[in-house]
Amino acid sequence: MATTEEPLALESGQADIAERPLGVMTRPQGGNGWRDWLSTVDHKKIGIMYGVAAMFFFIVGGIEALLLRTQLAFPEQGLLSPQLYNELFTMHGVTMVFLFIMPLAAAFANYLIPLQIGARDVAFPRLNALSFWTWMSGAVFLNSTWLVGGGGADCGWFCYSPNSGITFSPTHGVDFYAIGLLITGIASLVGAMNLIVTVLNMRAPGMSLFRMPVMTWMLLITQFLLAFALPVITVALFLLLFDRVFDSQFFDPEAGADPLLWQHLFWIFGHPEVYIIVLPSFGIISEIIPTFSRKPIFGYSFMVFSGIAIGFMGWGVWAHHMFVSGIGPISVLAFSLSTMFIAVPTGVKILNWLATMWGGKLWFTTPMLFAVGTVAMFTIGGLSGVTHAIAPADTQQTDTYYIVAHFHYVIFGGGVLGLMGGAYFWWPKVFGYMLNETRGKIHFWMMLVGFNLTFGPMHVLGLQGMSRRIDTYSKGFGFDFWNLVATLGSYLIAISVAYFIYNTLRSRKEAVHLPPPGPDPWDARSLEWMLPSPTPEHNFDVIPTIESQDEWWHRKYGYDENGNVIRVATIEEAAQKGDAVGVHLPSPSFWPLVLAVGMPLIGYGIIFNLWLCVLGGLLSGGAIYAWILEPVDDPDAGHGHDDDHPDDDHSDDDDDGDAVAVGADDSAGDA
Amino acid sequence: MRKHNVSEVTTSRWSLSGLIVLLGLVLAGCASDAELDTLKPQSDVARSIDDLMDPVLAVAGVVMVIICGAIVYMAMRNRVSHYEDLDFPEQIHGNNTLEVTWTIVPAVIMALIAVATVVTHLAVNDTEANAYSVEVAGETESWEPVVVVVGQQWWWEYRYYFDQDIDVEALGDPRNLPEADIVTSGQMAIPIGQEIELIISSRDVIHSHWIPALNGKRDARPGFWAPWKLEADDPGVYFGQCTEFCGLSHSRMRMQVTAMTDANFQAWVDQQMAPAEIPAGAEDYVSELRAGNNASLGDSDSASARGLEAFVSNCSSCHLINGVNDLSYSGASTESGAAPDLTHFASRTTFAGGIFNTYNRDGSLNRDDLSAWIRNPQAMKGNAANGLGDGVAPRGMPTLGLDERTISDLVAYLETLGPKPSDELLAQTEVD
Repeated sequence: MATTEEPLALESGQADIAERPLGVMTRPQGGNGWRDWLSTVDHKKIGIMYGVAAMFFFIVGGIEALLLRTQLAFPEQGLLSPQLYNELFTMHGVTMVFLFIMPLAAAFANYLIPLQIGARDVAFPRLNALSFWTWMSGAVFLNSTWLVGGGGADCGWFCYSPNSGITFSPTHGVDFYAIGLLITGIASLVGAMNLIVTVLNMRAPGMSLFRMPVMTWMLLITQFLLAFALPVITVALFLLLFDRVFDSQFFDPEAGADPLLWQHLFWIFGHPEVYIIVLPSFGIISEIIPTFSRKPIFGYSFMVFSGIAIGFMGWGVWAHHMFVSGIGPISVLAFSLSTMFIAVPTGVKILNWLATMWGGKLWFTTPMLFAVGTVAMFTIGGLSGVTHAIAPADTQQTDTYYIVAHFHYVIFGGGVLGLMGGAYFWWPKVFGYMLNETRGKIHFWMMLVGFNLTFGPMHVLGLQGMSRRIDTYSKGFGFDFWNLVATLGSYLIAISVAYFIYNTLRSRKEAVHLPPPGPDPWDARSLEWMLPSPTPEHNFDVIPTIESQDEWWHRKYGYDENGNVIRVATIEEAAQKGDAVGVHLPSPSFWPLVLAVGMPLIGYGIIFNLWLCVLGGLLSGGAIYAWILEPVDDPDAGHGHDDDHPDDDHSDDDDDGDAVAVGADDSAGDA
Repeated sequence: MRKHNVSEVTTSRWSLSGLIVLLGLVLAGCASDAELDTLKPQSDVARSIDDLMDPVLAVAGVVMVIICGAIVYMAMRNRVSHYEDLDFPEQIHGNNTLEVTWTIVPAVIMALIAVATVVTHLAVNDTEANAYSVEVAGETESWEPVVVVVGQQWWWEYRYYFDQDIDVEALGDPRNLPEADIVTSGQMAIPIGQEIELIISSRDVIHSHWIPALNGKRDARPGFWAPWKLEADDPGVYFGQCTEFCGLSHSRMRMQVTAMTDANFQAWVDQQMAPAEIPAGAEDYVSELRAGNNASLGDSDSASARGLEAFVSNCSSCHLINGVNDLSYSGASTESGAAPDLTHFASRTTFAGGIFNTYNRDGSLNRDDLSAWIRNPQAMKGNAANGLGDGVAPRGMPTLGLDERTISDLVAYLETLGPKPSDELLAQTEVD
């Protein structure tokens, strides 16, 4: 069983590993249980961990949101103190953006990119593990501020200076914010580089860029946005941290600094961040809608190029967050116009999704419901976005609940609903059982109604003049009724999320009595559906050679001379069996985890005691050396190959061709 | 999955009618009385914004209905409950003409909106300096109507300079401003039908000044004087709220604009320019004080006179009252270096950052809130007055631990710092 069709298969050579290189530790072997999860470099397991952890933080951020909404249910309530309210809305935003949506998108990217391009794994499997563990340690660090930092950050997720300075926010909350986001930023950067290289270099033979699924394209654009946006916020966070910890004066107006510096840096990151959040979801629904319309995506190249256009134009609109900050009328005008025209490629996407559905056979499964819901809700968010691209109108709307409504329609409506649809769509691929459809539909309708009840009224509240980020409001401004409706809606969202979790557990139990979903339960179109469910550890038995867009669909169906669709092969015939043995896979490693654990220690050290920095630095630094020095393969692990063995001497990270045997029984001689 | 077909259709019909009911409720909600409503402009500039926004909202509404309608239409018409083998619709991969069309059409719509935006934007940002005549100390001053607006945690200060040409360069540091003819807080008075230029800055963090009925908002940013303008058609009270998150009591930072006829504005100027009235029996005490001597009121039967002495000993290191401590006053020891000028405290309709009404509905002084505020400001409005940490200056009113008699004396004294606003004005101040 050979893997020689891999495009970047490493030079083969007889391995001579009688001696261990440089006398370093052995590499852990794959296995079961927690050790396996802690040391895994498998992109699928890392994707699952990203997804589970993201859902955990969805609950954390959701509880924060419920507290906020409960406080605002009635006027002049004192359930939360103003200080606690400020901390909660800050942490709600930070948690939902950095610890929920981004990692959930990363879960899909990690799991699906290698499958959709026909690869064994990502380009740098250990870096992939590093990116997950670093994100995880940053997330834990960020939330530990509730316990050891004297409360959460109280500056808003946008953390404008000088309110974020030590004078106005003397607790450690903002320090945790800055360092926590620096750490998660490292994770995102590492992940972005890894996935960019993966897409550019690891595609299966014949998988040209323009045969990739639209989803892979959107995820690729997202990774580029991450790679360019995160350095900007990193600079901003370092300056903030230096101001707070080392008394520098980058943002101190009394020392002549201009607080606009922070705003520019933050939004140059912050606006592309919006597209980082929604593009993965756009990709997901670009797979779901064709599948359940039984039609190819309408205008593939328009879809791809509009995504690229959004990726570029997203860099030219950041100051629309600053229309009232006094940047000058001409600057305002320039950004107002650029913001209007970013609506064009976005509109193209919406219309192409509709055209994909037009005349199709629409099967409203749960994923399809979520995908169509995403299109509708994102349309509303996009249209309200146009209304505040108009700078004069924005002077009335900015910093009111109208904006809160807008960006929740974009991020929740356009992002979260799509990701939820993706969860239902790929659940059988990932876990080997289907989620119950009836419960899924109930989940969808509860979430859609709850979402609209929560955020729809906020349009009204904002136009009626209710400011954002206020911990309470007085009677008599006409805010009472819609706030109560919004609060009730938020409870409904919470119930729907709980119901989703219940559905996953219940369906798992019920799946025992149901036939397995098989490789392709939805009659879908992209490569991952040619694999058994759940995906075997080695992904593809044989790396497929790609001949068209929607390769998997074309392996099942073709056209007769009249252009009618005919069946070429059944799913069972066309699918891979997942029974390959002796496929080389990268060896697990604990060092990414150790490296990641050192980083929050450095963070605590900066805040509390510099000696902790030394400890953290030793841990991380040591892990880097151990990483370099650990053998590319564990020499003791079984090797099932006699003809396709990588050279063990190379010590770079490109482990893709490296392997341990997955079928130890056959490792003795399957040639 | 087949068997759910019927229930699905029912569900979507139910949700459709639900959406219609919701839409009706939304429209009903819009009709309610809201003091900060952005869709009820009361000035030319606010109207020009509204005139731009309304058609765009309408176009957006139409697009939304078309797209959501198309989805509902397709869902009704093209739905299937499962897939039969080879039951495929026509396999269309795209249509360049269509796609180019729906790239260009939105671009053209956007371009039209863009033109309207440019025109309105330039008009909104254009300030025309009209001279306005104000009589100050018997002389007619030609006032280029400028009000200097300074935000700090968590209240607004408004400064009037009638006899000076105020420009951005001349103002300099907002913590160290030239002496003004009138200083008020929480309430800005303007003459109607007159474009008023605002020059806005902050003494600490970023705030945002917003009177929705009169114009959009503009940030108050430390180290920068932002130009903006206001205008009101009719006399009345127009509500505002700080809209840039500014820390602990951001939600409790409000303001009002009182628009007046020319005659009423002149009368207001005359009142505000006058020094504070000194309670009977305290004249000697005040003149001793102003001469720089240690003075004592001694026993007095007048609560307001005792209140004046209590003010001098407890409040005068932060608050200024013209005619009492203006000679010795040198700024407050708060983080922002400022505290509200109390010279005509009782002539204002609100206090404590626009949060509490100075007068009750029946026209009597709001003694309860005022006493409570002096007794324990922290309980009334979170303000971190005693600092949030070591070495951090207070940023609001500290709790002074005054006894009840002193508090009621202070309230009695504050009530003399009028004149009391007209009943008509007070009625408009009520929000509910």
